[in-house]
Amino acid sequence: MNPPPLGLSQDARWTYPKALSLRTIGLFCIIIAILLITGRNVEMGRMVQLTASAVSVTATGQGQSQVADGLAKIGSSLWPLQISETTEIGRIDSFDRSRLPWFSHIETRTEQTQTLNPETLQMDSVSETAEYLVEPLGYLGHVAVKLVETFEIALWGTVIAILISLPLAFFSASNMAPNRLAYTVARSIVSFLRAIPELVSALFLVLAYGFGPIAGVLALALHAAGFLGKFYAEDIENADTKPQEALTAVGANRIKVLRFAILPQVMAQYIAYTLYVLDRNFRMATVIGLVGAGGIGQELKGRFDMYNYHHVATILVGIFCTVFVIDQLSARLRRRLF
Amino acid sequence: MSPLQPIHVAFRTVSKTFPDGTQALKDVSFDIARGAFCVLLGPSGSGKSTLLRCVNGLATPTCGEVFIDEQAVTDKGLPQIRRKVSMIHQQFGLVDRASVAENMMGGALAEIPTWQALLGLYPDHFKTKACELLQSVGLSPEHLQRRAGDLSGGQRQRVGIARALMLDPQIIVADEPVASLDPRISQEIMELLRQAARRRGVTVLCSLHQVALAREHADQIVGLQRGVLIFNAPVENLSDGDFSDIYDQEPAA
Repeated sequence: MNPPPLGLSQDARWTYPKALSLRTIGLFCIIIAILLITGRNVEMGRMVQLTASAVSVTATGQGQSQVADGLAKIGSSLWPLQISETTEIGRIDSFDRSRLPWFSHIETRTEQTQTLNPETLQMDSVSETAEYLVEPLGYLGHVAVKLVETFEIALWGTVIAILISLPLAFFSASNMAPNRLAYTVARSIVSFLRAIPELVSALFLVLAYGFGPIAGVLALALHAAGFLGKFYAEDIENADTKPQEALTAVGANRIKVLRFAILPQVMAQYIAYTLYVLDRNFRMATVIGLVGAGGIGQELKGRFDMYNYHHVATILVGIFCTVFVIDQLSARLRRRLF
Repeated sequence: MSPLQPIHVAFRTVSKTFPDGTQALKDVSFDIARGAFCVLLGPSGSGKSTLLRCVNGLATPTCGEVFIDEQAVTDKGLPQIRRKVSMIHQQFGLVDRASVAENMMGGALAEIPTWQALLGLYPDHFKTKACELLQSVGLSPEHLQRRAGDLSGGQRQRVGIARALMLDPQIIVADEPVASLDPRISQEIMELLRQAARRRGVTVLCSLHQVALAREHADQIVGLQRGVLIFNAPVENLSDGDFSDIYDQEPAA
């Protein structure tokens, strides 16, 4: 008996599928067309042109650039950071000279002001002397307190989000929902919560609960609950079904299956999502403060409206440092879990 | 096994057609005596798993019935039946990320009140039992804390067997318990299952691919091909030809 010949047999046609089919190329062309049209609408061409001129002006030092000028102006008005805080003593209620706050001292400043003398109708130079309390790290401390307050808002927003999203996730996972109706209702609530941006719900909640952290916490919690509900539910649906079947076979009910076959599988992922939400809530908490929902955002908005750009710079650096620290801590925690 | 032993599990004209139209079982009828070790042989897709799953209600026959102790398996009776019937799985059915200790408690869930289970407050007698069973399948105390996913395949199936014994079952259904293990470990696991069952008088219905293992461990062998029962006999009555028949025949197109 002859061994079968090496190489492909002639009667069977072996052809590999092509990498680029006509459909892929067509799809690619459509995407390019969409990008070109939408790019025109959002002035992407002008963006590239302005950025290029700004870069060339900065590099060569010749010519004019609107963008470079703008950025330089912002930079110079932000710098230096505002660290100290100065308050006129006359404005402090029940000021106690014998007990000054730490590291602070009292400065006496004399200011010359021109005023119109009503009798002589001449401009007189009047010198006013006032005492000021100067705290060298005062504003930094104030920002730190506000950042902690913002973190507290974010933390509680996350806690309430978890409490809302856990039952929602149970009912909006197709393999756990007791019936079709509960599933649909839970899914709709989750989508609805996710569809409303924090900033928008904060606007309404500030009207309902007044200025302050309550509105902020609730706004963050509602949006994050929609986010967590979706992701928790998807993990429940995607969990390995073999352990679930094994427990069903020994007569475990739905709740026990969830606790013993699903929860151990998804726990690490849940903690990762929750940490991300905490991180995101902190960043969003700074934004919703702009509409009066408490925290550093409210301070930022106030300083920005008063053109105190040095203060704004301190706040921005503070936010950046806190986000960085949260990010590092959660990355470390996540590495431990997996 | 003497033929006078009372019947424990009885299949009566069991047929199963899946919603997509595939017929997994056609009129399968046979009996298993109390305490017997019955092995199901048959190629992949011959309906072995479906037949096993009909015993504990994970699958419901389209027509025909399964009887356990002369009681038909029905949806209503499932909680009682599932306390009597344990299952061992091909892919072990363990939660890889959970500890062996927690996986073991999974086997006793039917007897632990829900709130206690949720809080992880397991009754002491179950904890003791879990340890005894793990020792009896050849695992040591340090395995208790380990994640199931960190164990070797053989060790995982040992946990699977120990878990199946948590509620002192009368029947164990094993769905290709050694399909993902190497030959030596397969031999050990089958030995273990056989001994554990014999010591407790448990009836076993086990599907297998390995004819050699079946001959060595089974009392009774049932052959399935494309959902049809092709033989059912005590192991000593079967010839080599009978075995080769099940796997040799090409499935009809």
